[in-house]
Amino acid sequence: MILLQIANPGSSVPTVLFFGTIGMLSLTIGLIVFIIFHQRKVIRYQMRLQKLEQDQQKMLLNASIRLQEEERQRIAADLHDDAGPLLATARLYLNENLVNLDKTTQLQSIYNAKQIIDDTIQLIRNISHSLMPPTLKNFGLESAVNDLFQKISGSGSMNASSRFHDYRERLQAENELIIFRVIQELVNNILKHSNASFIHLTQNTSGDRFFIRLHHDGRGITQTDFDKLNKSNVGLGLKNIQSRLKVLHGKIFFEKDMSQTYYKVTIELVKDDEHKLTKVD
Amino acid sequence: MLPSLSRISSILPVIFFLLFLKRNRIGGFWVIFVYCLASFVTDKVYGHLSNDTERFYVYFSFTFVEYTLFTLFVYLSLKEALFRYILLLSSLAFYLFAVFNVIGKKSEGFDSLTASVEDILIIIYSIFFLYEQIKGPAAFFIYQSKSFWIIIAFLIYFSSTLFLFIYGKSFEKNSTYWVINNIFDIVKNMLFTVAFALKTNKKQQYTMENTYADT
Repeated sequence: MILLQIANPGSSVPTVLFFGTIGMLSLTIGLIVFIIFHQRKVIRYQMRLQKLEQDQQKMLLNASIRLQEEERQRIAADLHDDAGPLLATARLYLNENLVNLDKTTQLQSIYNAKQIIDDTIQLIRNISHSLMPPTLKNFGLESAVNDLFQKISGSGSMNASSRFHDYRERLQAENELIIFRVIQELVNNILKHSNASFIHLTQNTSGDRFFIRLHHDGRGITQTDFDKLNKSNVGLGLKNIQSRLKVLHGKIFFEKDMSQTYYKVTIELVKDDEHKLTKVD
Repeated sequence: MLPSLSRISSILPVIFFLLFLKRNRIGGFWVIFVYCLASFVTDKVYGHLSNDTERFYVYFSFTFVEYTLFTLFVYLSLKEALFRYILLLSSLAFYLFAVFNVIGKKSEGFDSLTASVEDILIIIYSIFFLYEQIKGPAAFFIYQSKSFWIIIAFLIYFSSTLFLFIYGKSFEKNSTYWVINNIFDIVKNMLFTVAFALKTNKKQQYTMENTYADT
């Protein structure tokens, strides 16, 4: 209407000018008020998202702490329940009265004590190996994973195989340990929950990306399930995987194969990221 | 009375800029400082001119300088490359348009067309800035940002004077309608003054603590 009046030379200029100016001013003030309120709304929404993310991180951290505590409790229980009584028994065999006993009994007691100490050494070695697998430390991730899969296959309960396609250069030791723990956790989950008849692990690289893929034919989870479990209070192992991968800036994807027969888990890491991480450390 | 007040009001932001020089040194606030000085000088010169041709060229030059300085300020405040690119392209188009518009034209008291196009462009640029602020807020309270007050000053002044400039050609130099320009010129200068006087409070930056303290 106003534009029509502007185009028409016979129109009343003061009226158009008055309403035009008032209209533009009202629009501007309206826009400013809208911007102020909308901006605050947007910020609140972003903050809420940030808070959710923080809560998620907190949950992961709690899971990781709980897992550490559980591990400590397990080691403490192993030492207290197994190593403790064994050493106490050995001490009984080697008491002060031993010198007053006859030679045959003395020899028998020393032999028994030696046996018990050997058992204790083996037990402590087992505990130590469970904390840091020697194969991983000495020969790297490929050997440690092959070793783990051979043990699983050897048990006869499941067919497990692994193949590293491109692992000529070893990753940093601490990163190898993190990846190994993630694989261990995934394999444990498959053994416990999936009823699978086989697990197959493959490793390969593409550019600066490092991939590890696990296939199995049992019951598995998809990414939606994983996200759901991550947000809930259950699924401690999965949260532990997530928090470990966060350290490496890695990603994990759970999916069902195209053929709908297999479940696939893909771990994706950026090689450069790992180097950076090590340098910072 | 009002024209004199409007003329004097452009000195106020200059004083506040110099008074709080330390806090106004950052960003492109010096552009607005230069604009206020240019505005004051132009008003002074314009008042002493009696020839329509001289008035036309002085006003045209001022429109040119005003557009350049405001666009430069918005350009310095924008972060998005696309908006900056649009600003450069439309500025080139504006300069070409303004020059072609003035060449061969019978010089009159006020170049209505150039001023109106300038108005529309500055309003659009201001909306770009506000849009960017919505998308990626830099401060929790937008009104804690100096740039926000400057942009609001542009927006209020140019939107209020758009119709005045469209019809400007048909008014006498001393027409009462120019009161609109004087009023909003004062408002604009007041808003510039607020921007220059504003303290950038680090506590008001966009942080989670502030958000939840506020709710």
